[in-house]
Amino acid sequence: MLEIKTLSKHFGGVRAVDELDFTVRQGEIFGLIGPNGSGKSTTVNLVTGIFPPTAGEIIFDGRDITTAQPHVTLDAGIARTFQNIRLFNNMTVWENLWVAQNSAEDKKATNLLSRWMGGSRKAKSQVEEYLEFSALADKRDELAGNLAFGEQRRLEVARALAAKPKMVLLDEPAAGMNREEVRALDERLRALKARGITVLLVEHVMELVMEVTDRIAVLNFGQKIAEGTPSEIQNNQAVKDAYLGTSGD
Amino acid sequence: MDEHLVSILTNIGGFTFIALSAYLLLLTGEISFGQQAFFGIGAYFSGIVTAMWGLSMWAAIPLTMLAAAFSAGLVGIITIRLRGLYFSIATLAFAEMVRLALVGTTWQVKIDGEMIGPNGSEGLGNIRWALDNNIEANDFMWIVLITLAIVMGLFFLMERSRLGSIFRTIGADRLLAETQGINVTAYKVAATALAGAIASLGGIFYAHAQTHVYPENFDVMLGVHSLAYGLIGGLGTALGPLLGVILDIGFLEAVEWVQGYRMIAFGGLVAVLLIFMPRGILDERRVHRLRMAFRTRKTEPPPAKTHDPAAS
Repeated sequence: MLEIKTLSKHFGGVRAVDELDFTVRQGEIFGLIGPNGSGKSTTVNLVTGIFPPTAGEIIFDGRDITTAQPHVTLDAGIARTFQNIRLFNNMTVWENLWVAQNSAEDKKATNLLSRWMGGSRKAKSQVEEYLEFSALADKRDELAGNLAFGEQRRLEVARALAAKPKMVLLDEPAAGMNREEVRALDERLRALKARGITVLLVEHVMELVMEVTDRIAVLNFGQKIAEGTPSEIQNNQAVKDAYLGTSGD
Repeated sequence: MDEHLVSILTNIGGFTFIALSAYLLLLTGEISFGQQAFFGIGAYFSGIVTAMWGLSMWAAIPLTMLAAAFSAGLVGIITIRLRGLYFSIATLAFAEMVRLALVGTTWQVKIDGEMIGPNGSEGLGNIRWALDNNIEANDFMWIVLITLAIVMGLFFLMERSRLGSIFRTIGADRLLAETQGINVTAYKVAATALAGAIASLGGIFYAHAQTHVYPENFDVMLGVHSLAYGLIGGLGTALGPLLGVILDIGFLEAVEWVQGYRMIAFGGLVAVLLIFMPRGILDERRVHRLRMAFRTRKTEPPPAKTHDPAAS
């Protein structure tokens, strides 16, 4: 589904991502972990076209999106969330989902003018579904900026869903959540998978990653140091060294 | 109606167009110091169409709006890569270029023994369409106000539509809008062109009410005012810029006992509001609260849902 081929991104002399290779298979939950500054968020930003890579290729669903702009990557079927919550705070929950319905499918379904006016009735009714999915139905008219932290995180996931993605990239969706919220997120990720959506999960909360992912790639200093199933990763010496800071000594 | 009042209302109408054009760009997150250029282009172009070519103002309106949209669209394309302060400076530079070009342009033709056309800093005179057609100041005011009502109506429609929300998302968080599949570049150029056309409407009416316009009418102060109207009145609804214009022209300029202090009061108002209400009197949050209050009064709120375990 998503093929990353010898992908590199240098910021000046810093190799934020360095000849990275991995492939996310259709329908799986793929974890991307690593210590702070290991290049996880940079990888997500490269895939979603926030900035172009220095070298390498990104192939999604058979389509080369290496230098595609953000709105084109969404067209291709990739939606994302942000490490620091990003919502339209001055818009209601409902509006946040409504303006996010920009999938290629929705664009094809109606002409530009009727999309400008409000989109199809079907699209609007789907907003209700996303509200249900993220348990935000009773907050629909609340301004996004007034929501509690956990609700804002849920809204971000619902918004990614509103783009009818083939794949979602979640950048630390569990950051700052308590144990119960993490458990609810776990269920929600499985629900995404059940809908046939491929998930790339960047996360620091290990209990969630080990619990929910099918496979994991571990980054350190922009390079992949390990890849495998959660149990393989847990027993990998290079990974332990990277996290405990004993490598290279 | 009292002559003084008619001229004030006509002015309020005319200047609300340029305030709305600056407001539209503010929605998309851009501060333009150059909307006076399109007001000026509107005044000159429409003046040329009616005074030199002898067409009616009704023909001049669509022609002028197209010309203004085209030139504004070009400015939008040229400034695609500029953001924030750089965009502001570029628009200001463009507006000054237009003004200086008008100062340097003389293009007159003899019509009925009179020289008519732009004449450098002497401006463009004899825009007599309203006089020639016996349209009284009172009637002209109604033409302006009805056109304003139509444009305001379209703004309200836009603000309730998805297009309005798209403009707002671009202004609120450009990158987020982009990752949500919005072609920000295309919408920005479209907004710039649209804003140019709206500003030119103000210029058309200004020229035909004044019958004589000068390049100096379209200097930086006009642009600064048009921005300030939205920032004072509020960026939550198109009523905001209208409120700003009414406060300035309807009160500060029109009421005798504050007249001498207009610029002091106006500047003070802008400064105070920027500190206490950075997005104006009718900002997004206040507009939302009003809308919700209005809605619950019309319909009872839905019964509270039983607690959803998945929500915790």
